[in-house]
Amino acid sequence: MIELQGLTKRYGDTRVVDDISLTVEQGEFCVLIGPSGCGKSTTLKMINRLIAHSEGKILVGGEDITTLPPERLRRRIGYAIQSIGLFPHWRVADNIATVPRLLKWPSSRIAERIDELLALFQLDADGLHDKYPHQLSGGQAQRVGVARALAADPDVLLMDEPFGAVDPLTRDALQVELSRVHRQTGKTIVFVTHDMDEALRLASRVALLNGGQLVQYDRPAELLVAPANDFVRDFIGRADLGLKLLSRRRVEEYCRPAQRTRNNATASAPITWQVDADDRPMALLGGRLGESDIARTVVNNEWSATPEMSMKEALSRMVWFRVTALPVLDSEGRLLGEVTMAGVMGHRP
Amino acid sequence: MLNDASSGWQFIVMLVLMGLLAIAALKRPLPRTLAHGVVLLASLGLLLITLYSLGDYAQRALAETSSSARVSQGAAFWVMVFCCALAAIDAFQRTSSGWLLRLGYILIAGGSVAMLFASGHFDDLSIMREYANIRDDFGDQFITHLVLVGSALGPALLFGVPLGLLAHRHMRLRGALFSVLNFFQTIPSIALFALLIAPLSALGNAFPFLGEWGIKGIGAAPAIIALVMYALLPVVRNTYAGLKGVPPATVEAARGMGMTARQVLWRVEIPLALPVMLSGLRIVTVQSIGLTVVAALIGAGGLGAFIFQGLGQYAIDLVLLGAIPTIVLAVIADFTLQMLVVLSKPAGTRR
Repeated sequence: MIELQGLTKRYGDTRVVDDISLTVEQGEFCVLIGPSGCGKSTTLKMINRLIAHSEGKILVGGEDITTLPPERLRRRIGYAIQSIGLFPHWRVADNIATVPRLLKWPSSRIAERIDELLALFQLDADGLHDKYPHQLSGGQAQRVGVARALAADPDVLLMDEPFGAVDPLTRDALQVELSRVHRQTGKTIVFVTHDMDEALRLASRVALLNGGQLVQYDRPAELLVAPANDFVRDFIGRADLGLKLLSRRRVEEYCRPAQRTRNNATASAPITWQVDADDRPMALLGGRLGESDIARTVVNNEWSATPEMSMKEALSRMVWFRVTALPVLDSEGRLLGEVTMAGVMGHRP
Repeated sequence: MLNDASSGWQFIVMLVLMGLLAIAALKRPLPRTLAHGVVLLASLGLLLITLYSLGDYAQRALAETSSSARVSQGAAFWVMVFCCALAAIDAFQRTSSGWLLRLGYILIAGGSVAMLFASGHFDDLSIMREYANIRDDFGDQFITHLVLVGSALGPALLFGVPLGLLAHRHMRLRGALFSVLNFFQTIPSIALFALLIAPLSALGNAFPFLGEWGIKGIGAAPAIIALVMYALLPVVRNTYAGLKGVPPATVEAARGMGMTARQVLWRVEIPLALPVMLSGLRIVTVQSIGLTVVAALIGAGGLGAFIFQGLGQYAIDLVLLGAIPTIVLAVIADFTLQMLVVLSKPAGTRR
């Protein structure tokens, strides 16, 4: 748990961080976001005392951070920055071992921990263990950076725009992975970004900062539905608000029972799924706008959905394949239910 | 004439080797790596055969003459040696050869030349007869030269590295420090040696115990002080540049992980800055070896003593006895430290 109480940072007369108070609960994923110069990075760096705060109090796990020597504090808090922060003269394993070595863990325990983390981040293949940072791809280097931050098993993880320097595809993959690691480890994470989509995707709580002040601190959906003022509304971007909201929702929230039939011709409802003996959907009967009710569309992998998929992606597939419904499949490819265009519209935001 | 100076077979070998060099220099006939290989081997061969011919001719020419007759090398010899060295250096720069190959080549070349000397092949040359006259003195002055260089480098590193660190940490100090050091660098070396004479002799007279320690207006003390003053700038500047070259994000990460200032310095900053710092040491070493020659003027000794003595007596052989070892020393120091620079690059940053 992290508590900021009236946190202020002054440089001369300018207050770059101005009286911020917020609490990040245990296991929460808190994203600090705002325009450049809003004080988000400064706030983050005050938590591990890379920057000293001017006024107020910071409690980590209930303890005032000024009561500990800064090095001791930092060894208890994971810290990840852009991939450039890896030590170029150390191999991947040495980089990950940084904090355990500072804490003087026995070497057998360090080796064990390295293997554990490489496995957690799916880096255990290809002999990555002994590679140097410049031999890694952007995505790999970034995973090593996060693995290094987690090495000594800290309760709290601070991340300063960690995915700022990677391409969009890699960034997507890293976000999915970070979400997974967050669920698996239950760490408290404070994450700085300037990318609203990234924030909405990862956060369980978003703190929106402007001019050093905390404008709104809320769950992502609340931020979208009930913005505190015009600044929040503008910052989120109104144009694709609906899609942003859908990007936070998962298919399982919208999934409803499907009508099934075993034979070819008879459709008992406007949208009916023809399934085989194993309950795998073979075709959609109906469900195409502007065409007769008996239009038959063969199901393939690309226009189906899984329960974990975001509704934004499901909607995108409906639009692209010009169907008003997608089958929701389990991992075996069996029909769990359906999501429909009407269902998307009918759900209250 | 060249063929007067060489017996027939030596002349033919020379012609063949020069022919090979010419073929390798043409654009088409040989593939690139082969051409470079041919140049390296031919220029080494040419160097050795030139040296061999020189000694051989001296032996033949002096066999029946009086013992006061002298044979010394002329301009053609120096041109040949210079061309061989140039061809080999050029070939090395065109190939991206590893340092191991270079080291091997230099050891073979140096070893062969040393063997020719050791076998007494050159003993009839006038420069070697001169050497025989001053043999004991030569050894002493050679050692003196090395000691002077060493005692300048020690303090330069001892003060220079911490000063470079300070310059990196404190911006305000940096400007003042660099202007003072730059100022030292602009004083001509002879002037600096001369300028130090008065204050040091005054000091030595005022406190006789200092004089007993060797603090006098002439001799080693002013020489070492001047050498240190010249050596400081490259050491400080390269230490500063090396530390400045460490990415700030790397240092921030190190601090964020919980390293103490000292751990950041020793585990991250110094290892990453070391190659640049060592190239500063390389500059300083080569520079000091050269400057120490001038220090002979104020009685510090060293190889410069022969050069100035030779100049005064118009004895070219004596000048060469001072100059050639100085050049060889500088080249060896340069090469060794270059290799250290390469080796000191952390594995992860060596490409």
